[in-house]
Amino acid sequence: MKLKLNRFFFLKAILYGSLVYFIYLLVLITIQYIPINYKIAFLNLKQEEIKLAYYKLAFFSHVYSSIIIISLGLTQFSKTIRNRFSSIHKISGKVYILLILLVASPSGLIMSYHANGGLISQISFLTLSILWFVFTLSAYTSIKKRSFKKHRNFMIRSYALTLSAISLRLFKYGIVSVFELPPMDTYKIVSVLGWTINLGIAEIIIRKTTHKNMYN
Amino acid sequence: MKNYISILVIAFLIISCNSKIKDSESKIKIENGTEIIEQNTIIEEKKTNYIPENKVKANSNNEKILGSWIGYFKEDTKDSYTEKAIYADEGFYWNRENKINISIDKITDSLIIGHSVVAGNNRPFAGQLLNGVFHVKEPGDDKYDGEFKFTITENKLIGKWTAYKNIDIKNRKYELIKKVFAYNPDIMLEQVKEYVDWNNFTEEKTLEEYEEGEFEEWITKEFATATKLIYTINASNTLLKKNDVENLKKGDLTIIRNTIYTRHGYSFKNRPLRVFFDAQSWYIPVHTDVKSEFTEIEKENIKLLLRYEKNAIEYYDYFGRG
Repeated sequence: MKLKLNRFFFLKAILYGSLVYFIYLLVLITIQYIPINYKIAFLNLKQEEIKLAYYKLAFFSHVYSSIIIISLGLTQFSKTIRNRFSSIHKISGKVYILLILLVASPSGLIMSYHANGGLISQISFLTLSILWFVFTLSAYTSIKKRSFKKHRNFMIRSYALTLSAISLRLFKYGIVSVFELPPMDTYKIVSVLGWTINLGIAEIIIRKTTHKNMYN
Repeated sequence: MKNYISILVIAFLIISCNSKIKDSESKIKIENGTEIIEQNTIIEEKKTNYIPENKVKANSNNEKILGSWIGYFKEDTKDSYTEKAIYADEGFYWNRENKINISIDKITDSLIIGHSVVAGNNRPFAGQLLNGVFHVKEPGDDKYDGEFKFTITENKLIGKWTAYKNIDIKNRKYELIKKVFAYNPDIMLEQVKEYVDWNNFTEEKTLEEYEEGEFEEWITKEFATATKLIYTINASNTLLKKNDVENLKKGDLTIIRNTIYTRHGYSFKNRPLRVFFDAQSWYIPVHTDVKSEFTEIEKENIKLLLRYEKNAIEYYDYFGRG
């Protein structure tokens, strides 16, 4: 029993450690856009779009809000924080939901129309932003109805999609290192795998933990 | 066991993901003679070494001699091999030969005036014709200046060159034929030589078991190169769109952009590019500065290609997404 507990803690530490590390990398990416810079990184390939005022607004609000959203989500699944500091859970949860519903998801939807890589990535990012909105909204309405299990499941799905910011880039890195595919082929692949695999894992987690009836 | 595997996987991901999100150190080297001049800047009067042909009082004999003589400028050694050769990929080596353009611009009774263009260097020379042998000298204020001695017979210019200073390769020989340079935006690359950028490679270490339980470390180098797409995309006669370039890898983008310069007769300082373009039969090094030669299509394409090259260098194999 003792051994099992240790191993569990060890795994948890690694999981949180790597999440913090990758969020730190995302912070580095975000910093490139501070102060507002139209000629850097991703935007170098978006010179046509960045001339459009609505795209500018969508891009920068997406970039700045997403880094807050992904960081806020980090602590929400901790039992300790939920039970002992429930006000923290509630406040950061509300900010997380509001930022997704009002800023990050709608701006993602606008950007998905202009996605690099043609129809495949356009459809993929479009679906991603809609599902992100729907899951996050469902998580919100279910907690309003005090349906904790539903809330938890939708939040797992929502955060799985939030984490696609990391997984998409990780897959890209992996594909490029192993197969050395051309850049846009890689991009089309990760635009789909980047969030579908996450969602698959989320469903597995939900199924494996539901029978325990933790909350109801 | 499952836990250990997942720990290993996560640890691998953390380690293999470079701590940086992008490569901010590598920069695209744009040679001075190929920068794009924005239209609002005043273009300086182009310096030219060419004497308009109608000004030269040519007799029929001079007519045969005046003009550009093209061929390889090779190391002159007694041995058949060159010690200074560069070996990179399997079957790829460079004997340090460069394509040279010896241009004889003016002949008067006692003086021969011309210039040579080789390896990004454009140098004037002057001299005399003594007993059928041309003796012409470069000024001597450049490290790589020297003296040419050649004869012209049966449409061939054959001779030797000796550097004044003690440089890496002091003696060269050459056998050149006469060619006329003309800019042709439609000309395409021939599939004659691979592009191998031997300064840019990744090393992969593998362990090979050569005896029971005994391993030896092998290092394989993989060089930056280009694909067949470079033979199909023309950035001089077609205005390229995002779709044309967004799926190209760095090597292809570089070659497609530099082919524009090659069509204008640019003489490259960059060695891997020079070796690659020298092999093109139509390529003649004429200028060390082609800035003011670009057409509007080419200017736009260069800008576009550079944007994607920059992105490829910075982000292609990094966590960050360009």
